Amino acid sequence: MSKIKFFIEQSWLLLVSSFFFGLLIATANSAWSPRIEQNKKDKLANLMKGLITNALNFEPVIEGIEVAGEKGKKQITSVYKGISDDGTTAGFAFIASGTGFADKIELVIAVDPKCEKFYGCKVLSANETPGFGDKIKENYFSNQFQNAPVGKFALSKVGDPLEIDNKIVAISGATVTSTAMVNIFNAYIEQIKEQLQQKGLIGNGK
Amino acid sequence: MANENSASPNYLKALTIGIWQENPTFRLLIGMCPPLAVTTAVKPALTMGLSVIFVLVCSNLVVSMMRNLLKPHLRIIMFTLAIATFVTIADLYLRAFQAEMSEVLGPYVPLIIVNCIIIFRAEVCASKSNVIISILDGIGTGVGFTIALCILAGIREILATGRFFNISVMPSGFVPWAAMQMPVGAFVTLGLLLGLSSLLTKEKAS
Repeated sequence: MSKIKFFIEQSWLLLVSSFFFGLLIATANSAWSPRIEQNKKDKLANLMKGLITNALNFEPVIEGIEVAGEKGKKQITSVYKGISDDGTTAGFAFIASGTGFADKIELVIAVDPKCEKFYGCKVLSANETPGFGDKIKENYFSNQFQNAPVGKFALSKVGDPLEIDNKIVAISGATVTSTAMVNIFNAYIEQIKEQLQQKGLIGNGK
Repeated sequence: MANENSASPNYLKALTIGIWQENPTFRLLIGMCPPLAVTTAVKPALTMGLSVIFVLVCSNLVVSMMRNLLKPHLRIIMFTLAIATFVTIADLYLRAFQAEMSEVLGPYVPLIIVNCIIIFRAEVCASKSNVIISILDGIGTGVGFTIALCILAGIREILATGRFFNISVMPSGFVPWAAMQMPVGAFVTLGLLLGLSSLLTKEKAS
């Protein structure tokens, strides 16, 4: 009994404070979490709209699929369908991620309704080196993926970035980041295409 | 530091001591992670400074209110509990209402939990002083920290981009110093400012 009394004497303030602070965090979280979720959805929708310009809205068509990323590391992603104003499919977009130079790189990649060419990619999140790796956000680099045929990309240190083919010209001084970008595309696209075919969203005259 | 043991608490001193005499960045050299990590531009530096002011004031207030109930061996755990609560609230607020800035600051807002400025003020001032002194001390120290962040960020932003708050301030022929956006820019600028602050203090003393 005296042990319980000693325990309560020593820790009552900690227990009461923990309860009070926990309540405070729970209140803030429940009040702001819908807005935080909405911010995430808005950002994703804006990026997807920037890639599939004729899409009015987007709906998830495949959710929570497992994709083997770089070095076979399993990643969970979802595929969204862009719907144009006449109700037809304007394209598909999905989130792809991989390891960059400094941190994880998350991309939104979009393809046409037949999954034959890329509409392009936008950076969802990246913490690459300012002035070097963060140039993946700039159009001169990301435009190399725009309208490129769906397939495997290869990185090249020299070449014309304006030429649209399966060769991606690396950012000078950021080879690791450039390689990461190419690896992300190569790791995801075949698996996503396969999933779209399995679900009957592409192929069979669609 | 003015505390309740003093004959008459000096409110003005509590408010101003953290701005220069005990400035955490330039005089005490504590909490040096944000000055190096989030000072590439003034906006994120200001957001970080305001977050630190919020956490400092709230944690000082709570610690001061419970100072007579604190057991010596439990005081650090109580400080950490209070600080972590307010940092989580600040982080949630930024993610909900300043989503873009929250992404720019990345993990550095949650890392305020381990910023020694907060725990230092809780230990040195709030656990020994009344509520008013503790709040004034939190404001003063937070403002001192914010000023230091903004000076560093201002210099780096101008030299790295030629702009200040998105307004062009450098002549047309100015070549941006990309290095100022990188860690080396933070270390060099901080070193020069520390040297300058030492020089000013020595001159004042002599």
